[in-house]
Amino acid sequence: MTRGIIYWIFAICALMGVILLAIGFAETVPNAGGVPHPEFPGMVVGGDGAARLEHIGGLAFAFNALLLTLVVCLSILGVSERHRSPKFLAAMAGSLIIMLLIWWAMFSTHQEFLRTGETGYFMGFPIPTAWQMYGTWLGAIPLVAIYTLGFRHFIFTEEDEAEFNALLKECQQEENQD
Amino acid sequence: MEAYRQEIIVGAVVIYMLFCIVTGLWAMRRTHDSSDFFIAGRGLGPIVVALALFSSTLSGFGFVGGPGLVYSIGVSSFWMVVISSIGYAIGFFLVAKRIRMIAELRDCLSLPDVVAARYGSEAVRFLMAVTIVLGVMGYLATQILAMAVVMQAILSGTETFADIGLVSCVVISSTVLIFYCVTGGIIASVYTDVVQGAIMIVAGSLILMTAMSVFDGGIQEATSIILADDSEAIMPFGAAGVMASLGWFFVFGLGLAGQPHLITKMMMNKKMTDNRNILPMSLFGYVMAALLWISIGIIMRAAVIDGVVDPLALPDDAASTFLSVFANPLLAGIVFAGLFAAIMSTSDAFLNIGTAAIIHDIPKAIRGHSVKNELFWARVVTVLLATVAAGFALYSHFADATLVALLGAFGWGTFAASIFPVVAVGLNWRGASVAGAVTAISAALLINFSVQLAGIVLPYGISGPLVAFITSMVLFIGVSLVTKKPELAKDIDRVMQI
Repeated sequence: MTRGIIYWIFAICALMGVILLAIGFAETVPNAGGVPHPEFPGMVVGGDGAARLEHIGGLAFAFNALLLTLVVCLSILGVSERHRSPKFLAAMAGSLIIMLLIWWAMFSTHQEFLRTGETGYFMGFPIPTAWQMYGTWLGAIPLVAIYTLGFRHFIFTEEDEAEFNALLKECQQEENQD
Repeated sequence: MEAYRQEIIVGAVVIYMLFCIVTGLWAMRRTHDSSDFFIAGRGLGPIVVALALFSSTLSGFGFVGGPGLVYSIGVSSFWMVVISSIGYAIGFFLVAKRIRMIAELRDCLSLPDVVAARYGSEAVRFLMAVTIVLGVMGYLATQILAMAVVMQAILSGTETFADIGLVSCVVISSTVLIFYCVTGGIIASVYTDVVQGAIMIVAGSLILMTAMSVFDGGIQEATSIILADDSEAIMPFGAAGVMASLGWFFVFGLGLAGQPHLITKMMMNKKMTDNRNILPMSLFGYVMAALLWISIGIIMRAAVIDGVVDPLALPDDAASTFLSVFANPLLAGIVFAGLFAAIMSTSDAFLNIGTAAIIHDIPKAIRGHSVKNELFWARVVTVLLATVAAGFALYSHFADATLVALLGAFGWGTFAASIFPVVAVGLNWRGASVAGAVTAISAALLINFSVQLAGIVLPYGISGPLVAFITSMVLFIGVSLVTKKPELAKDIDRVMQI
């Protein structure tokens, strides 16, 4: 099933390119990339957040969802085909779901703030920013855990090590014969 | 203690520089050939590699430019930091194992060596080496200039060196850098990285604690002040907007696996199985050190809005102003030493890969063999490269910033766009072809150069490196799919199946 992972990666990248093009041609707003702070030189302000997302909000959401999917597809590509077991793929799917949920929570709580102008705080930051700050950081920890804890199962098994050592030996013997 | 603030800071920096010199002398006795000079004879332990990896990731930009960016554009710049867990994970999944295997199998000394072995192509080796040299010149020049500016700021606060010039500071700081890089090569570089990394972790943690005590209500009070002034600045996409933020997420996240000075370090560990420990250790170090970036930036923006501190002349003054206003002298000394550590740990890594590209890879791509007496020439070229970069830095500062700015465009984004597809994807996909690799590298360079030269501003904060990265990925896979399936060398084919 994952032999064609490169086609998925290609399709995701192409789709991200199309989204970038669509954003490039979307109607723009004056504060799209921020404007200078009226009082303090060197500071930039974002201004009306709802206006900035009005024409591209959905595209930006899709762009990052694709980016997170790309991260997981690339991680799968980095694992030898013979180790892409159902257990490994399930762990990868779980990681993707966690990252997508965090992205959705961040985006939707920000939208909620733009509608109501009210927000709670979590560990020093407004809720949407806390999702970004702590959520994004921690959201990829399952990937790190899969690599670290699953190292001998998926990444470099004892059989892999033996195979590599045998290959090294063969190459050295060939070199010596030459 | 406050009366001796400047002396304490100078003392901390001097002790740090003396340590670098001593390490260079110690490492010289362990450097016997070019393999020791460039890849430490592939004999490093996991802690050394982990600390070297993260400290090289967080350059002086993280200590000066990072807090300045938060001051300027708010949370937008957090995206460069929070990607670290994804960035390191991707780097290890895609690169760490195969680059280490190919390096051992083919006795590779550099990233272009690995690429040449993978693709069986000298053209790809040449393009990769040229990209590295151009990038190294830009990076080194800006790092050397940053080192000199910081040194001037520190020394001019003392009576003895009140009138010290920038040229003298470039000479002093570059001399220390060159000394330990020439004498000890990558061995000196990685062992200084270990201490540099440790200093950065300590500095990051202490700064967070100091930042939390600036306002009575801690970080939450600071973020509330920013929210009241401009809510977008403290919301997830910051003042720069959603596409600028996601662009950084893409380029800094995936791009980590395309940075030659980082992935070269993945060739240096003694045992392949150490990778499982190196990944979490590097990530932990990076997160701790990056606390400085976030906390200083937030506190300084809030402090200026609240009238606690006068508005800054430049956003990049955020870190130094924070240290002089809020930090006690001892902490300021540690952080300034940490700042030099951050700049030097990146500079030495670049100096090393740049030297390898010049004396090892470019001659090999053109003439089929490297120069004779590689170790001697490596030392000579290290001096020359650093001297030319220092010259560029001074020329840029006093005469014309265009050249260094142009070479600076060959920064993280260009490395990410041109190297990631060819190395990170190419090492894991047997269908990747030479035509795909050449097209991807050329397109990435062309787009980044064009955007920089023409001063093109894209809508919604979309960055040139983001466009270049996505284009090079699409071209790399697309061209490889439509060109003839490459025939791989037997040993490489087998490695790619493990």
